Amino acid sequence: MNINKQFKEGLITNNPVLVQQIGMCATMAITTSLFNGLGMGLSVLIILTCCNVVVSLIRKIIPEEIRLAIFVVVIAGFVTIVDLLLKAFIPALSEALGVFIPLIVVNCIIIGRAEAFCQKNTVGASFFDGIFQGLGYTCVLLVMSIVRELLGKGTFGGGLIDVTEGFRFTMDGSGSGISIFSGEYGAKVLTMPFGGFLTLGILIAVMQYALKKSAKRKELAAKADDEEEEVEE
Amino acid sequence: MLFNIISISLGAILINNFIFSQFLGCCPFLGCSNKTDTAFGMGVAVVFVMGMASAICWLIDTYILVPLGLAFLETLAFILIIAALVQLVEMFLKKSVPSLYSALGIYLPLITTNCAVLGVVLLNVQNHYNFIESVVYGITGGIGFLLAIVLFASVRERVEFSEYPECFEGFPICLVSAALVALAFMGFSGMKVF
Amino acid sequence: MKKVLKLTVVLFLICAIVAAVLGEVNAVTIGPITAREREKTEKAYKAVLPYADSFTAVDPAQFEAYKSTIDKISTADNGAGHVVETTFSGAQGSITMAVGVDSDGRCAGISIIKHSETSGLGEVAASASERGVSFRKSFIGKDETITIQDIDAITGATITSKAVTGAVATAIEAVKALG
Repeated sequence: MNINKQFKEGLITNNPVLVQQIGMCATMAITTSLFNGLGMGLSVLIILTCCNVVVSLIRKIIPEEIRLAIFVVVIAGFVTIVDLLLKAFIPALSEALGVFIPLIVVNCIIIGRAEAFCQKNTVGASFFDGIFQGLGYTCVLLVMSIVRELLGKGTFGGGLIDVTEGFRFTMDGSGSGISIFSGEYGAKVLTMPFGGFLTLGILIAVMQYALKKSAKRKELAAKADDEEEEVEE
Repeated sequence: MLFNIISISLGAILINNFIFSQFLGCCPFLGCSNKTDTAFGMGVAVVFVMGMASAICWLIDTYILVPLGLAFLETLAFILIIAALVQLVEMFLKKSVPSLYSALGIYLPLITTNCAVLGVVLLNVQNHYNFIESVVYGITGGIGFLLAIVLFASVRERVEFSEYPECFEGFPICLVSAALVALAFMGFSGMKVF
Repeated sequence: MKKVLKLTVVLFLICAIVAAVLGEVNAVTIGPITAREREKTEKAYKAVLPYADSFTAVDPAQFEAYKSTIDKISTADNGAGHVVETTFSGAQGSITMAVGVDSDGRCAGISIIKHSETSGLGEVAASASERGVSFRKSFIGKDETITIQDIDAITGATITSKAVTGAVATAIEAVKALG
């Protein structure tokens, strides 16, 4: 299996949020600080990878008719495990993400990958697919949270980094982040639902612009090649 | 009790609208809002399923899961109940109310993965609502969804005739217009009931 | 028919396996979760009612009239007063708050447990900043006649300030109604 290709697909050309346009609820809801974005992204990454592996392991023994029900049960199982572990060991994250952790069950990314990819591919390929798609999702969450937090509150790394007593990472979400400019001048509206919709909209627009541009460049290059060939003939 | 119900209803429909302030159910919201008709059909189906799911999940949670100490199975149980419920409703409508089925039919399977439905059930548990409050929250949350999706569908119909940068084609322009509608809904926040 | 039976058995088996795994995980995590929750409530309660030692919950039937906003009332075992847990709507959603009421029926302190107020405005009410601390301190010693003029209200967050003030007044009323 071509790992490089999978990597590129997960992060850019077939990015779950920016290109496939699925799993947007959580993307817009929780990306108000880097701590939340990173926590949510990693949770999805872990759940997606585990589900992918299990689904591709059992893909041959489950009956066709009830496969979706079985996928849902497997996904709900992993989501609950992550939910319980977060509640027990990183309670601040569990509180910040709230109902969006159990809602990963209905996040189309996971069931979509199970249905579209793992059903047909080997365990190894599914494992890497889970990691790369999860990374693609995490990257989008990170970009969204960094933008919304910086422009909305004027800080970077809220919840995750604390600089009041020297630089350190806070795992309990208490860090106030690095202050870039005073929060008073931040566009607070960006940390509200309005900002969620707007930031994601602009992000997808930028992505479409970039993809279109690279497609055009490829087309031009192909055309140039053709012309050269014609000349040679 | 009555005050309570009014405050839950207004909260779910306007102040904490499922889509514009809690981001629950965004996928069908953006996917099914091309036309006002389809948006209305989807919205009605959601109201129906959210009300039913709230009632059934509340009963199962209170009388089976909690007494047996199985509260950790909530997510798993709820999603299975919702999936089964959607199937049952679909079969029932097909047989007994074909006219309604032909109107709602195509939207029903999509509802299983609508996070507003699972969300409302989980929020009922989280907020410790009793049976009536849960059902009211489910139905009014659905009405909030209906209101949002119908309003947004009419906005989108207007957007089709306007000019915007090429790279905003499709999804991005939807999200940007949704942002503006969300801004309007922000006006309700701060409204206080009693 | 045989096929339906087979499908049911397979689905049931998978559910059973998943449930069993979850049971194991739950057994591991239930300890830390309950311990953390208890510790957190105790800490929040002691912060709002400093002289209390341990708490006993009051029977909800005793504050039936206030049930729409008040979730829980606990009495301090050494008679220092009561702690009221209340949920009410703020500017952006519901706010959950603990209010300490001393034995004279005066506010002994408040602590916001959960909220979704606007960052930089209403959020200040719950924050650890100097402004937030002085806002919360301004409630100490007030009784149920408290209005927004009595406190150090937050500029730009009148709705949040008013909501918190109203909730404190209701909490004190509810405690007085206990007798």
